[in-house]
Amino acid sequence: MFELDVAARHIRSRHRQTIFSIIAVSLAVGIIIIAMSMMSGYTTIWIDSIVENQAHITVHPKENEDYIHLYHGLENHIYNQEGVEAVSSYFQGEAALQHKHNAEGVLLYGINPKDEKRVVNREKDMLVGEFASLENPGSRIILGFKLAKNLDVEMGDIVTAQIPGARPTDFTITGIFQTGTPVDEIIAFTNLERLQDFYGSGDVITGMGIKMSDAYAAEELANGIDRETGYDAVSWIEQNSEILSLLETSEGMVYFFYIVIFTISGFGIANVLIMIVMEKVGEIGMLMAMGTSRRSIMLIFLLEAGILGMAGVVIGCVLGYVASLAIASITIPVPPEMYFGMDHLPIVIEFENFITAGIFAMVINIIAGVFPARRASKMNPVEAIYSV
Amino acid sequence: MSDKYIIQIKNLTKIFGDGVEIKALDGVNLDIERGEFLSIIGPSGSGKSTLLNLIGILDTPTSGTVLLNGVDVTKMSDKERSRTRNRELGFIFQYHHLLPDFNALENVMMPLLISGVKSSKAREVARKVLDEVGLGDRMEHRPNQLSGGQNQRVAIARALANKPSIVIGDEPTGNLDSKASGNIYELLRQLNREHNQTFILVTHDERMAAKTDRIIRLVDGRVAENSINSG
Repeated sequence: MFELDVAARHIRSRHRQTIFSIIAVSLAVGIIIIAMSMMSGYTTIWIDSIVENQAHITVHPKENEDYIHLYHGLENHIYNQEGVEAVSSYFQGEAALQHKHNAEGVLLYGINPKDEKRVVNREKDMLVGEFASLENPGSRIILGFKLAKNLDVEMGDIVTAQIPGARPTDFTITGIFQTGTPVDEIIAFTNLERLQDFYGSGDVITGMGIKMSDAYAAEELANGIDRETGYDAVSWIEQNSEILSLLETSEGMVYFFYIVIFTISGFGIANVLIMIVMEKVGEIGMLMAMGTSRRSIMLIFLLEAGILGMAGVVIGCVLGYVASLAIASITIPVPPEMYFGMDHLPIVIEFENFITAGIFAMVINIIAGVFPARRASKMNPVEAIYSV
Repeated sequence: MSDKYIIQIKNLTKIFGDGVEIKALDGVNLDIERGEFLSIIGPSGSGKSTLLNLIGILDTPTSGTVLLNGVDVTKMSDKERSRTRNRELGFIFQYHHLLPDFNALENVMMPLLISGVKSSKAREVARKVLDEVGLGDRMEHRPNQLSGGQNQRVAIARALANKPSIVIGDEPTGNLDSKASGNIYELLRQLNREHNQTFILVTHDERMAAKTDRIIRLVDGRVAENSINSG
């Protein structure tokens, strides 16, 4: 294939300009790989935090009903579904918590800590105390960090819960948790039976959390539960659809910037090729006189774009990989609660991103080569030969 | 009849320009025999190069036909024209037009590689042809490492590499001093005798033209003289 040979010689003969265009492509590819790794990092962190800190499916009462009655049967039914790892029933109610002169409106969650622990790992969020302390059916309560702060209470203090139509009840604080989310300000956990008692509701629940072995199978199972039982089952995907679609939209926006960056580096390649074509007019004419077809002339210059692009992509991938590792190792001086408890930028290096950036860059570089290549192939051999 | 004549030109006309029209060739008729060594002369602007480019299928006429081995090249597709140029025609221009990034041997190999000959075979053929033009010891040299005369010899070797039936030269010695010109002329003549290839040379050098088999003189795009050289 003489076309490749000619293309390679052209590039070698203009090594200074070609090096600059390769650097431009490398930088573009490198920067985009870093950006993609950060995007992947943030997306992973968002989704992980959602998947970890929420039930994968939440089952709510049927329409126009406040409670799920006879829930033990439903628990068993769901537990026997494929892919279900754990089920935790809860009773949720609004109440006011009071300590001395401070009062706050809260959402009280009555749970069975053994079941709850298997659906959401609350223990890891505990600042002080143990989540398992709620196994005791006594009047114990665990508060969010900000709620505790607003009430000005500490471990061992007593808060009084009040609801209309029931006797105020004292709860002893046996733990304080912190998730870094608004939950910290409004939620408190107690024992399920204790809370059912407090509300005088009998043995009913207001909802059920489900954990699956594959979080992405939640949507399908939720629909299945909906259909089969009539209870309102919502998957984490549906529940967080706004956040997820926001993530998707921002990813789309980012792709727009990728295209802009690649196009700029593509101009570098087009520029070098236009220079080569202009410099090699006589040579192109002679190649045509020797019987080189217009297709082969076109191929020569597209190959040049391909070679420059490929070199840029390979160097850019290495650059992006090394830079991503370097960025991931930098500690950022940010309070951990602001960034989901992170002290590093979330970088996730995915092989996919390298492939995407590489193909993306190659496609744009080849397109950048089309104009000069067409120009070369459309030359009139006579004019080309006598132009020298 | 087409067996005797390798080229038959009938009523060939070429008009340039969109606004102001210039008739570069005006109804040229010409038959060229196989193995002929002929020259085309004439003042500048008389249409010599235009005629040569039409014979070389580098350009298309406004009207008229060029039969090459009995085939009308003016009706060929772009692809067929490229193929025919590669197989049947060898070109030598005033400026050698060697590829500057390739050495002498690689330049001579190029027409063979374009026609799809394997690299090893092309190398072997190119070596032989370079030996023939007296550059056996300069094969690895790039054009910028060779003299004008040497480069023109490489260009000649390149034109001959694919064993074309017609070799076209547009002022092949125009850039050389008289001694180098003489040597190149002798080389072309010798190659013509050895391989029985048809040589068509455009020149403004009357002395050189006088040494060819036949002189075609063009004036204002018409054949003004078509004379066989006896001596």
